[in-house]
Amino acid sequence: MAGSGVSAQSLYQQTQEVVAQLKQVIVGQDEAMRQVLTAFFAGGHCMITGVPGVAKTLLIASLAKIMKLSFKRIQFTPDLMPSDITGTEILEEDMTTGRRELKFVRGPVFANIVMADEINRTPPKTQAALLETMQEKQVTIGGTTYPLEQPSFVLATQVPYEQEGTYPLPEAQQDRFMFSVLMDYLEESDEVTVIKASTGTAEVELEQLMEKEDLLAYQDLVLRVEIPRELVEYIVDLASASRPENKTAPDFIKEYVAWGAGVRASQYIVLGAKAGAAIAGRMAVEPEDIRGIVAPVMRHRIGLSFRADVDRITVEDVIARLVERMPAPSATA
Amino acid sequence: MIQAAETPEGPMDEARVADMLQKLKEGREKVLREIRRVIIGQDEVVDQVLLSFFAGSHCLITGVPGLAKTLLIMSLGDALDLTFRRIQFTPDLMPSDITGTEILEEDRSTHKRNMKFLRGPIFANIVLADEINRTPPKTQAALLEAMQECQVSVGGTTYLLQKPFFVLATQNPIEQEGTYPLPAIQQDRFMFSIIIGYPERGEEIEIVSQTTSKRPAKLDCVMHGEELLLYQRVVREIPVADSVANYAVRLTGLSRPSQEGAPDFVKDYVTWGAGLRASHYLVLAGKARAVLDGRFGVSVGDIEAVAMPVLRHRIITNFKAEAARIRSEQIIERLLEAVPKPSSGL
Repeated sequence: MAGSGVSAQSLYQQTQEVVAQLKQVIVGQDEAMRQVLTAFFAGGHCMITGVPGVAKTLLIASLAKIMKLSFKRIQFTPDLMPSDITGTEILEEDMTTGRRELKFVRGPVFANIVMADEINRTPPKTQAALLETMQEKQVTIGGTTYPLEQPSFVLATQVPYEQEGTYPLPEAQQDRFMFSVLMDYLEESDEVTVIKASTGTAEVELEQLMEKEDLLAYQDLVLRVEIPRELVEYIVDLASASRPENKTAPDFIKEYVAWGAGVRASQYIVLGAKAGAAIAGRMAVEPEDIRGIVAPVMRHRIGLSFRADVDRITVEDVIARLVERMPAPSATA
Repeated sequence: MIQAAETPEGPMDEARVADMLQKLKEGREKVLREIRRVIIGQDEVVDQVLLSFFAGSHCLITGVPGLAKTLLIMSLGDALDLTFRRIQFTPDLMPSDITGTEILEEDRSTHKRNMKFLRGPIFANIVLADEINRTPPKTQAALLEAMQECQVSVGGTTYLLQKPFFVLATQNPIEQEGTYPLPAIQQDRFMFSIIIGYPERGEEIEIVSQTTSKRPAKLDCVMHGEELLLYQRVVREIPVADSVANYAVRLTGLSRPSQEGAPDFVKDYVTWGAGLRASHYLVLAGKARAVLDGRFGVSVGDIEAVAMPVLRHRIITNFKAEAARIRSEQIIERLLEAVPKPSSGL
């Protein structure tokens, strides 16, 4: 029976198989793949920043196929309306009786995996409609509430540079995403592989490896992973050290950071570490599970000061310095 | 302007009030116990939000994202069995997105067309107006107007809002481009201005451990909306001694730099002092505090306890204060020290 008898060991094995499948269609981007999978099993949402054409959609669509989940892609445009996302009520006429009735037509948000492409190209009210649905896991229209199908997973992409006609997501909205994943250009050798494959004739048939119930069961399993108290303490200290109003924050934070990572940062680092441990086949978090996810959790939660701009300091620099200054406690310390 | 609550049945008799008082004290404990199942720490914020619930007034909360503001309000909605709606304020939100719109509807049998009013999200018991300072003034005004009048007028028809009605507006303190801070006059409509800060280290550790190991609990309903309305009446039934009312009025009056006898630090640092609504809310919130404590009378201590959230957004400091890094909180602290308390004091 699907969904029963899941364990960290079975998650480890299944993830290996999922990754192997994904690698048939996606070259490189190992780190991004790992982060998206981690968010998947943690039940969090992802923001992906990257130039066009680095296989963002392919990654997500393949994942949906492998896990047998419904998938919808929404292209965000300046004229997209909230109802284009959530759905609309339409007047429907019964052919036989001639009676008219309002019927709710579900929008694309009612899919297990929603890819919100170029979310910062749409005005704030439409952005808010997506984020609200994401948070509340339901849509309320005309007094009726329609719950989303579980699992639900939103993956939003942003146009990376400040182009004209973009509406940057306010930081309170960004805070709702668990990870901010960076997808960069490929290595030269990888790019050659991609070009050869994409201009050839070979078609890859993806195998379906997981059921919806399995995924939900794994999300529950992640919550049951143990984490030693000193690691939770470390994570909370790390997040609060990024807040410039904190008296004990390091000097470079006070100088370069306008606002630091909030409580959601510490929550998502812990949750991400738990998911990472489970994917590695363990039911207990180890320091190495934390290392790889600090940057994707913190990078969209830290706002830089004007001073950082002048000194050409980036968020990545700040996070790197913070982690260097506060290394994770070593195992069994 | 400020009005007394409607009392259709006339004043309650004392025995009934005493009975209600006991029930209310128990009710408060129950509500707190439920809230504590999901909210860790933030004692002061929980207390102040509860006070404004029972006083039947609205709150303004300032704090960074991710501090469980929505969770707190939703939990209160669950515990009190009230409908809850959240409105995310954005720069392109329109007044009708809050209040509702009229649409054209056709009658199936007669084929006559009628205008039908579709109620907006404001028709709920508890409305969370999230990041109210991100929306332009006209839309802010639509919310505040409905809040004040407890009704919405569209196309010549007036629709009454649900009761109890409670607005909790949040402001993000991170200064961003394109925000529209609420003008002082609009802020005055909120009874309390509550500041919510980061939790203590120990609290944050506990929050993080709990939220990542189990799904949020669904709260039990421990009190119903009608009971809350009744308790709001009880709050207003509580007598206030002249000496205590005088103290509230004096505290407010002396925050105005033009007032005779205002302390020097007020004359130096304050542009605008607190208005009449301040003394009204000091007494009302003081009554709510007494009632929730099971006491039948407002003490000077009650007024002092609510002075900070009532006066915080009503005392506007000047440039000189900014240069000396003095904020309204410090003015209030000094006022509380400087203004003599009535000797009877209760």
